Amino acid sequence: MPVSVVLLFCLAAALIALFVGFRVELTRSREGKILAFVALFALPVMAAWTGFSEQMDRATSTRFCLSCHVMDGFGRTLYIDDPSYVPARHFQNNRIPRDHACYTCHTEYTMFGGVKAKARGLQHLWVQYIRGAPKPEAIKLYQPFPNSECLHCHLGARRFEEGSAHNKVPDLLSRVKANKLSCVSSGCHEFVHDVASLKDDTFWKEKQ
Amino acid sequence: METVERRIKWASFLIGAGLLVQLASLLVVHPLAFMGFLMIGCPLMLAGIVMYLLSLIHEK
Repeated sequence: MPVSVVLLFCLAAALIALFVGFRVELTRSREGKILAFVALFALPVMAAWTGFSEQMDRATSTRFCLSCHVMDGFGRTLYIDDPSYVPARHFQNNRIPRDHACYTCHTEYTMFGGVKAKARGLQHLWVQYIRGAPKPEAIKLYQPFPNSECLHCHLGARRFEEGSAHNKVPDLLSRVKANKLSCVSSGCHEFVHDVASLKDDTFWKEKQ
Repeated sequence: METVERRIKWASFLIGAGLLVQLASLLVVHPLAFMGFLMIGCPLMLAGIVMYLLSLIHEK
């Protein structure tokens, strides 16, 4: 649903609820009671639900993740003009949806993955506003990046299964699939969000 | 003014305030807006709805 519709719906529901409050004597009649039920129960519940859906959807957007100043550098790493950087390569080549770039790689593809992602979001807020955010260069994941996020898309893909680098060592693929060897470990896909080296990087400019 | 009507009045103001907070939070894309929606807008609205439903019980 377009945001403008959600906004108008919330505004209309609020105005009708307030109207009932200012003209409370209307609720003495049968029609007034029906109006009160719609204005003070049905409409607010529907408006809140549409607002909640919108909030949950935008909480997965790249714009939302990068809205905190401390994330600026991480957003810029998506534009590094170097294909050895995994996030930049995925972002610039549309391997992930650009509007939901952060969430696509940093959510768990499990039953409660979305819930866990929201819980981590609350933890981010705690760190940002209560405990004090570290410098961008010092920001680390709470847990090591799990391979399951990469395998969600790459598992079974010909390039992943038959690629020469993945088959150099006989048990490499099985260790990767078992999450015993990280995809982003040193010597593999080690260049991710290297915020510290941003000043030395060149950046891709998207053609308009 | 009867107690029931007073409760309905309060309920409508709480619901209206909650919905306006939710509306304001939807104007900004930021984690604090998300928290404002969940922690201020929703509780205000829920309190209003509960007060309205209680007024119905009281009326009977």
